[in-house]
Amino acid sequence: MWEIRDEPVRLEAMLQVQSLAKRYGEVTALQEVSLTVARGQLVGFLGPNGAGKTTTMRAILGVTDLDSGRILWDGAPITEAVRHRIGYMPAERGMYARMKAREHIVYIGRLSGMDGREAARAADRWLERLGLTARAEAQVQELSSGNQQRVQLALALVTDPELLVLDEPFAGLDPVATDVLKEVLLERVEAGAALLFSSHQLDLVEEVSRDVVIIDQGCVVLAGEVAALRRSGTRRYVDLQFEQDVAWTPPVGTVVLKEPSHVRLAVDPHIDLSALLADAQAVAPIAGFSFEPPELSEVFLEAVGRSTVETEEADDVGDAKRGDEMDPLEHGA
Amino acid sequence: MTSATALIADREIRQRMRTKGFAISTVLIVVLVLGIGILTRALSGSSDTSSVDVAVVGTVPTVFDQALLQAGRTNDRAVDVVPEPNRAAAESALRSGDVDAVLLVADRALVFHEEVDDTAQRVVDAAWQTAAGATAAQQLGLSPEQTARIVAPAPLRSTTLESNHDDAVGILVGIITAVVLFAAVSAFGGLVLTGVVEEKTSAIVELLLARVTARQLLAGKVTGIGTVALVQLTAAVAAGLIALAVAGTSIPSGVWIAVPTTILWFLGGFALFSTLYALAGSFVSRQEDAQAAALPVTLCVMAAYLTVFPLSANADSTVAVVLSMIPPWTPLLMPLRIATGSASWWQVAVGVALLVLTTVVVLRLAASIYSRTLLQRGRRISWRQALHLRSAAT
Repeated sequence: MWEIRDEPVRLEAMLQVQSLAKRYGEVTALQEVSLTVARGQLVGFLGPNGAGKTTTMRAILGVTDLDSGRILWDGAPITEAVRHRIGYMPAERGMYARMKAREHIVYIGRLSGMDGREAARAADRWLERLGLTARAEAQVQELSSGNQQRVQLALALVTDPELLVLDEPFAGLDPVATDVLKEVLLERVEAGAALLFSSHQLDLVEEVSRDVVIIDQGCVVLAGEVAALRRSGTRRYVDLQFEQDVAWTPPVGTVVLKEPSHVRLAVDPHIDLSALLADAQAVAPIAGFSFEPPELSEVFLEAVGRSTVETEEADDVGDAKRGDEMDPLEHGA
Repeated sequence: MTSATALIADREIRQRMRTKGFAISTVLIVVLVLGIGILTRALSGSSDTSSVDVAVVGTVPTVFDQALLQAGRTNDRAVDVVPEPNRAAAESALRSGDVDAVLLVADRALVFHEEVDDTAQRVVDAAWQTAAGATAAQQLGLSPEQTARIVAPAPLRSTTLESNHDDAVGILVGIITAVVLFAAVSAFGGLVLTGVVEEKTSAIVELLLARVTARQLLAGKVTGIGTVALVQLTAAVAAGLIALAVAGTSIPSGVWIAVPTTILWFLGGFALFSTLYALAGSFVSRQEDAQAAALPVTLCVMAAYLTVFPLSANADSTVAVVLSMIPPWTPLLMPLRIATGSASWWQVAVGVALLVLTTVVVLRLAASIYSRTLLQRGRRISWRQALHLRSAAT
């Protein structure tokens, strides 16, 4: 049987965030933020502190109202009922210290629109998956911080959400918890859920997700596949290891690093590699060679037109701007 | 009430009733209130309020018994006469506490056990004089009718030129309502205040606001904490009634008629004041700042409460009429005006309407400020800033 649809089926666009803008008095939190998350897609949301990650996520969940912009779910404006089912982990974690772990998960499940039995079943399942069954009846305050982080994760997962929005989910996690979190998140994505998670640690995001959205000062500056974004950088890096110490002056490019037997060059993407190799080989035998696009962080800095040093200054400016408005703990906005 | 509000209220009730603090404070309140009743009785002794039993040794004129009852009535004390055959029997009855006094007719003496009960003495003395007068009159040859006219003249009838609405029972009911409401708000308003800040200090607020509105959250908290407070209050009032019974104080029967409407006024007033405390709590993010933020609310409740007493005697004065229709005075003054019969139906209607409206508006304002202060975590915003934020948002 065939369903006839007027519009073309676009599987990708489950969540569409279109041109969000938000000001807090003098401070522009979001200027122009658009992004898309598809089913089965894992999107890293990157940017320095104060770039607008948290505000964007809050806007998706409806915690913050917007000055302008639209949020669509499967092509239609998002509804409260849909929002309540989105798995959410705010940047600032918190739980009722005196509630029991299982009770807490059930409570959030019920507030998310599940009935009592459904929420209880989901709570038991997640407690088991996260290895907390033995501690189900313990109060949150009695749990170790590692177990508290697991309960916090269960609060985001209890509805088996189609979309997970996690603000800095890896912040403050120990290596074991980081592994558990990665594993669970990949399971969910495998099962068809979509995941948008923020971080200001670019290396960590590169490791987990294929797609990224990079935001700075309230604007999306880059979006797409990590590999493609890196390739879009305007230079490449050549690393040459020689068998012996050399004094080689490369015919093209800029020397970035010079060690007795190692030279790192920044070159144009389209240079004649064989000519470069031949020139080097004429000086001394070559022990190793690599030709790579820049790291994501460099692409990002290039896109926002700043050096690393400037980024830190920009962070300070961002904090100062928010200084009299917000607590320094507050990320994003 | 939406289901989200009900869920939040339910959690609040379960969590609070489960704590040791709740059990301990409830028991303490009951013990304290009962203790006051028992102490009152112990300090005042039993003789003050119960009837006086007088043992009589010897013969008294027939008119004495009658005069004794009459004197008892005028002194608000019931008097029973217990005949005793001789002095020894009467004195042993006095020692064992079966009677409160012994009248030795032949000795013209009134004997008490350990101390003289002034009222009993006055009552018996009055009857003694009346009886002596009657006896003397009869001995002088007057007929019983003539004697009666001398010793029991037609009593005076007291009337007033103008009738007055302010009956004592009405004022009593009104003042009791105001006192209990004020006591409840003073005791439990702080719970609402700190309860509202709880989600912010534990930082769970953002997760909750992704699920429910700030208004649902606050309404649920006020309802839940209010229910817990009412449970304790009911225990306290029950203990209070038992204590009154123990202390032997009688409650005018008129009070009970006013109880159902009084409870409604109480609930309305409690809702308004709790919501005001929720408003105060919505401004702050830390428990340390909560008390300071609640100061205007506390002063407002206190000021409204203090006006009840001067106005209670003039329940139909213009000031009382106007104030009784304006929250926060309505729940404090209107029960008194209804109980004394000075409130007209439209004044009650206006009072109720403004009370409900104010509560709803305050709750909305609190919710709006609550969600706005989420982005101002860690510091207190001023009332002016909050109102500015609100107007900027709408």
